[in-house]
Amino acid sequence: MNVIETTGLTKTYRRMNAVDDFTVTINDNTITGVIGRNGAGKTTLLKMLAGLIKETSGDVRVFHEHPFNSLYASANSILIDDQMLFPEALTLSELLAQGARFYPGWDEAFAQQLFDYFSFEPKQIHEHLSKGKKSTFNMIFGLATRCALTIFDEPTTGMDAAVRKDMYRVLLKDYLAHPRTILISSHHLEEVEHILENILLIDDGTLHLHKSVEELKEYAVRLTGPTALLGQWLYNKDVLHKKQHSSDMMEVVVKRDFPLEQAERMGFHVTPVAPSDVCIYLTAKSEGGIDDVFK
Amino acid sequence: MVDINGSKPIYIQIAEWVENEILRGHFKPNDKVHSQYTLADMFNINPATAAKGLNVLHDDRIVYNKRGLGKFVTDDAKAIILEKRKNETLKRLLRDVVIEANHLQIDEQELRDMLEDVIRDHKGEKT
Repeated sequence: MNVIETTGLTKTYRRMNAVDDFTVTINDNTITGVIGRNGAGKTTLLKMLAGLIKETSGDVRVFHEHPFNSLYASANSILIDDQMLFPEALTLSELLAQGARFYPGWDEAFAQQLFDYFSFEPKQIHEHLSKGKKSTFNMIFGLATRCALTIFDEPTTGMDAAVRKDMYRVLLKDYLAHPRTILISSHHLEEVEHILENILLIDDGTLHLHKSVEELKEYAVRLTGPTALLGQWLYNKDVLHKKQHSSDMMEVVVKRDFPLEQAERMGFHVTPVAPSDVCIYLTAKSEGGIDDVFK
Repeated sequence: MVDINGSKPIYIQIAEWVENEILRGHFKPNDKVHSQYTLADMFNINPATAAKGLNVLHDDRIVYNKRGLGKFVTDDAKAIILEKRKNETLKRLLRDVVIEANHLQIDEQELRDMLEDVIRDHKGEKT
């Protein structure tokens, strides 16, 4: 079943298209990573999916309804980010109690166990928590709702490395026990890619690619070899990234649409390219990246 | 163990892990192998990736499906795995050795001598 369907979805702020003609479908019971550079339009897209803002044009369907004015979509989805506002008058444990009241699928025992594990105090006020603790609490809250569509926008902001690792493990285990549709946006693909099924790469508000993580892993290869030989061989190949090692050695990242043996037989050194690097190269403004600025 | 950042795709590593368990006799013919969910939990990976690993085993007739019950080890699993390792893994490793030897401009005889040395050393270690 498709949980999310958008067609030509567009959001315009001051004549700038933050999200531009975006068409995508997302199946139920998948974890999708929403990846893109700063300002690529990730947050705008996620907010439209969660029904928090209204599209300028195009169509968006969540559970076959228009999320901006559907109670059904609203009750079955949640967006977690670091700007969530909770009432300051309530303590953390009171917030959890309100979660239980509002979300029919709320898992009280699960929320409480994580609350204790991450050493929260029942009487603490959300506003007074550190950045990392706020993010941790928000993520626990989001998972405990068990919403059929759970959206995390940069959920690990401010968390230390150990907590980030723990929280992604919690997310995976909870997903295994209670499959549902989860979207996670992150700047650190390498930290989440192992728990993702699909990746949605956004660039300048448009959909760049939507593939499984496994496909993305085999999307490109890195070749290293003599500049003259490699340069000639690259004719007709789709080059994503180029780097000159020395005057006669060059490294290139190319789309993998040829048999690898072909490159190996030429004597090039062939290595895989991590999905996070593929995303960086695909959304880079120039072949050489930042090094081009210094030329 | 599964190496998330390794050059081998994770689903291949999962398939190989199950194969190794079969070779070691931890899974015998007609035993149920771990489900995609158990594997996902064990190796901290998405269950779809684990399922892809199990599908590789299914395509290679190392496991068979029982509807609604899971995947089970075939009678010929061990023989198939050994044959597969010989034809794929071992041949690839040997090819890499030959390519590297070419880079280093080592001639055939020298390479053969080196291989024989390694075989002899390995025998010595075992006894």
